[in-house]
Amino acid sequence: MKRILIVDDSFYMRTMLKNMLSDAGYEIVGEAPNGQTALELAKETKPDLITLDVILPDNTGLDVLKGIRAEQPDQKVIIVSAVGQEVIVNEAMEYGAKSYIVKPFSEEKVLEVVSKVLSE
Amino acid sequence: MKSREQEYKEIFIAEALEYFDALNRHISTLEKQPEDEQTLAEIFRLLHNLKANSKAIGYLQISDISHKLETAFSLIRSKELVFSDEVVTVLFDGIDMLGELIHNVDNPKFSEPDPILLRNLDIIVENLSESTIELAKVQKYNTSKNLSLSELVYIQIKKLDHMMNLVGELMIDRDRIISISRELGNDDLKSVSSHLYRITEDLQYSVMDARLVNIGSLFNKFPRIVRDIAAAENKEVNLSLSGQDIQIDRNILQIITDSLLHLVRNAITHGIEKPEEREKKGKKAAGELRLSAQSDRDNVLITLQDDGRGIDMKTVMKKAVERQLVAAEVAKDLADNEVLSFIFEPGFSTAKEITEFSGRGVGLDVVKNAIDSIGGRITVDSEKGKGTTFILQLPTSIAVKGALLFEVDNIYYAIPLIHTDQVVALDRDELHEVGDVIVANLKGETITVVYLNELLNAPEANMNLGDKTRLNGQVQNIIIVSYNNRKLGLIVDKLYRQQDIVVKPLSKPLQQIDIYGGVTLLGTGRVCLVLDVPAITRYFINMRQGRGDGKE
Repeated sequence: MKRILIVDDSFYMRTMLKNMLSDAGYEIVGEAPNGQTALELAKETKPDLITLDVILPDNTGLDVLKGIRAEQPDQKVIIVSAVGQEVIVNEAMEYGAKSYIVKPFSEEKVLEVVSKVLSE
Repeated sequence: MKSREQEYKEIFIAEALEYFDALNRHISTLEKQPEDEQTLAEIFRLLHNLKANSKAIGYLQISDISHKLETAFSLIRSKELVFSDEVVTVLFDGIDMLGELIHNVDNPKFSEPDPILLRNLDIIVENLSESTIELAKVQKYNTSKNLSLSELVYIQIKKLDHMMNLVGELMIDRDRIISISRELGNDDLKSVSSHLYRITEDLQYSVMDARLVNIGSLFNKFPRIVRDIAAAENKEVNLSLSGQDIQIDRNILQIITDSLLHLVRNAITHGIEKPEEREKKGKKAAGELRLSAQSDRDNVLITLQDDGRGIDMKTVMKKAVERQLVAAEVAKDLADNEVLSFIFEPGFSTAKEITEFSGRGVGLDVVKNAIDSIGGRITVDSEKGKGTTFILQLPTSIAVKGALLFEVDNIYYAIPLIHTDQVVALDRDELHEVGDVIVANLKGETITVVYLNELLNAPEANMNLGDKTRLNGQVQNIIIVSYNNRKLGLIVDKLYRQQDIVVKPLSKPLQQIDIYGGVTLLGTGRVCLVLDVPAITRYFINMRQGRGDGKE
């Protein structure tokens, strides 16, 4: 079972993502509501994939992405952002994010992107 | 039953109200320190989340206003808009309106947002170049605003665990007080203690209730899982679910999750045949898998039934003999349910192939251990060619168990009711010495009976489980327990009553003695050992084999 870490500051978004992904048979190894927890959990759980919200309370998502990739260069990360964040998403892709999902997302879209990135 | 939509909605509202409160707090800070970067960033983040969440759930007015406010604050951040008095008023109004909308998502009578306010927001966001911004005075929705807090709180499971432990401690003290009040014969104390009894009982059920979740939260994951496994195995499987709204303790559900997944995988990989094979046998091409939950007094029954090839008794028996779990001459006389119980033995697996989904060295013994650990039981029924049914009988709560109290050699013991079948009183002449054990005949069924005092207290060298002369008295009280389709009669000195007990784990040096599941304190203050039926059954079998073969 592929292991996924969810990083999002909204409980609602985390719950939706968690349900969609675990219904599809993925194991959710952790949920981080902020950058600090995200960095700790990424190190501790070494997931197959991280879904990362770009706007977080303490660090910006980009700093978290850089932090994770510095420790785990091969870590697969998918950016989750809202419409209007294209600049940040582009920058994130340059820093090694594998793909992105735009909120509000459909279940099909999430599963499609996740399974594509995981099979790479 | 709470549907997932309902759950999402509750979470959305609770979180949106939190955001609303935080927005009010931050915008007040901003009024005093208009340049504060951190506050601006925080407001931006909150509005951003509110926008995304409301759009996802479909509250478009909330998402629209959040979007406009978010834009306004990002303009303030980039210094394209000054946080001046007029702007402040409009932004406060906008946040108030968000609050109104969030509070009224369920209110069909709630009117559209004030168009004047919407226009004011648009002016701020879009018509920047105009030097004179005309902001109309917005009529407030209601002058006497109600303060309301969220109806939902989130609680960590470990806090609930702690509460449950405290309730357990309280129940022990309560029983002690009741017992003292009886001894003293004081009527006031009696009436207070009976009130205390009712209150603690209520409290116990309230805490237990707070930990309950719908079994559907686990069951609803299976359609997808079944689909995936079936696809990988080239099989067709129709899954039907029922009883999703039955409630069970969250930790119990957590503990059985892997077990249920394992059983479902087994059913598809090893139980249900490929479509061609099924058609040859005259079955429908698609296999039927039924997962259901039922409430049964203090227990929850989970049933997993498939219409696959069933378990082949001969293979199981052959394997059991090979693995020396049973002697060949004994095996041929065993009843089907006794043969089936071997599949729960460690390392026992009848599957010949290992596939991606099943049989990664995890056997049914692991499933059984998980179920045992929470005081549940698992049984299996199977007919070759017709299918297999597993039944998991689970307690609704971990901490409190119904138990039967008894005495052996002046020591109090309790035995969980889930493992007790019946209690009988037999004359010692109805007990027979057969080989190295004592047996009794109960309605045509021969049951091995063991004198608990001998098993628990006799020095090993001197132990004789087949010697009737060691029994005390003429009439013997026997508790019939059953575990993994094996019945065993336990002879006890005195039987007391049924009682709900709070099982405490044994402290360090005693942990090793695994025939005890824990201890409890009785109202009289006496310590009572809780017997672990699975462990004592195994212990008895070991003692017997050890003596029979001179091993161990």
